[in-house]
Amino acid sequence: MPVKDVLIYPHPLLKKICAPVEHLGEEIDSLIQDLIDTMVAAGHSVGVAAPQIGAPRRVVVVDVSHSKLGRDDNHGLLVMVNPEILEREGRKVSREGCMSVPDYTGNVVRAESVVVQFLDREGKQRVIRARGFEAVALQHEIDHLDGLLFLDRVSSLKTDLFRRKKR
Amino acid sequence: MTHFALTIIGRDRPGIVAKVTEILYRLGCNIADSSCTILGGQFAMILILSHPKMQSNEEFGTSFAPLEADGLSVFLRKLQPGGESAAEIDGEICMISVYGSDKPGIVYPVAKILGDMQINITDLNTKLVGTPQRPVYVMMIEAVLPAGLEIEELSSALDRLKKDLQVDIAIRSITPVEL
Repeated sequence: MPVKDVLIYPHPLLKKICAPVEHLGEEIDSLIQDLIDTMVAAGHSVGVAAPQIGAPRRVVVVDVSHSKLGRDDNHGLLVMVNPEILEREGRKVSREGCMSVPDYTGNVVRAESVVVQFLDREGKQRVIRARGFEAVALQHEIDHLDGLLFLDRVSSLKTDLFRRKKR
Repeated sequence: MTHFALTIIGRDRPGIVAKVTEILYRLGCNIADSSCTILGGQFAMILILSHPKMQSNEEFGTSFAPLEADGLSVFLRKLQPGGESAAEIDGEICMISVYGSDKPGIVYPVAKILGDMQINITDLNTKLVGTPQRPVYVMMIEAVLPAGLEIEELSSALDRLKKDLQVDIAIRSITPVEL
């Protein structure tokens, strides 16, 4: 299965809202395989969204089990078709970067824990609760399906302490 | 292309950025990296500029005179070739918070330890907070550790300082995550 090139902003597909998958057939299955292969080939990557490899469909793959930050709390390899975040809880700041936006990182606030509903690779309806880094990765990848980059969510300049409210 | 560093500082008020960037736009300058912020009551701008033709400070002539007339201080510096791009800084990134009752001599001892350990400060903010009766000094540092230096070594060096200076110091590692 081919490893795909990851599209780099300003590629227009990265700002598109992706279409839901209607039918889980061969075409989507090979898209899923491409996503997994691309994620693995990228080495350090913990997730890829379909638009990042040029397919504007609502499919993401995430696997934080090999990363230092995620290895203690994860669901292994997650393949998500038409994922939807049902619940968000808590607040967590991470310094995020993105393969599609090289050489830039920013502080992003995301939910610390999310409940996500999705179809798995076999087309089974599933609901999981993810926490910590896995939750952050899922929110980042699912954002791609709505044309959102972490740049749209940067919450603060490097040090945000001094720009808070005045008494 | 020749690059320049431009710094501008003056009493903060709305419209400073517009005034400065209008001049740069009309000159045909490109703004590359820049950082602008309020410090005290002053607005401070630091910009790295390039221009397709201009080679020297003199060519800017009196372009910035209207800013000076407005009470802003302007300083222009021509960069040596290559001075516009940062050397690759590889290594663990950490945030260091230092805070405590205000007293003379907080910044230097901390910076001295970091410098002696070849730790590269990439960002530093300080602020005087608290009340006039009980002023508190807060310093936030983002720094990159050199290869081979563990965060624990820095931790124990700063722990000693904590006692000497009677301040609180916390260090944490920041791992940027590429998603």
